[in-house]
Amino acid sequence: MTRSRDVATQGGLVLISSTTIGSAVSSVTVTNAFSAAYENYYITVTGGAGSATGYLNMQLGSTATGYYRVNILAPYSTGTVSSFASSNATSWIAVFPFTTNSIAGFADLQNPFNTKNTHLFTRGSQSNTAGEININSGYLADTTSYTAFTLTTSTGTITGGTISVYGYKK
Amino acid sequence: MEELKALIVDAATGESYERPLTAEEIADREVMQAEAVARQAEQDAKAAARVSALEKLSALGLTDAEVGALVG
Repeated sequence: MTRSRDVATQGGLVLISSTTIGSAVSSVTVTNAFSAAYENYYITVTGGAGSATGYLNMQLGSTATGYYRVNILAPYSTGTVSSFASSNATSWIAVFPFTTNSIAGFADLQNPFNTKNTHLFTRGSQSNTAGEININSGYLADTTSYTAFTLTTSTGTITGGTISVYGYKK
Repeated sequence: MEELKALIVDAATGESYERPLTAEEIADREVMQAEAVARQAEQDAKAAARVSALEKLSALGLTDAEVGALVG
């Protein structure tokens, strides 16, 4: 039997915001996404489509330096795994892949609001036969407290779809 | 030339608006685009090197199964 006190105290994902992406936008900034309420966040980007095949890069606040990550990808055609690194980049590159069919990816962020290094973990996949699966892990080399993030297209624009931000409740 | 638009959303209130990208944002985006192009070039070069290596292994007389056992 589930008691009300158990429901009230259990952890889980708490929806903070759900944003519909507009038409033909090059970037989406979500402000007031992070706060002292949660240490860890889960961000999903689903639906919609790009004007071309590309990626959404991620920045926190207005910081444009210090992004480190390793990217692991494998194309559907061969399954051959490749890895790529970026050090002290202007953003976390290729966080969410998009095609003219869809935008699809998940990201976990640890400690964006706390004055600690922020860590990023992402998974995504492209929806075309020439596409790939895409995994990233990295961190931002500063201890700034952030409340906002921006997703910027590597090429073209995106239309539609939803960006949802959840907090991990303890 | 197509105007580059930014969507700004306040997660606390749900309010949103669109505005043109600033010159600084456009410059940042161009840097990110250059990084994306470099990434794609690196990816293509790795794929080409792999194909070349597999062809050389086959030319040495290895069967497809043997090549697969070596490189997966």
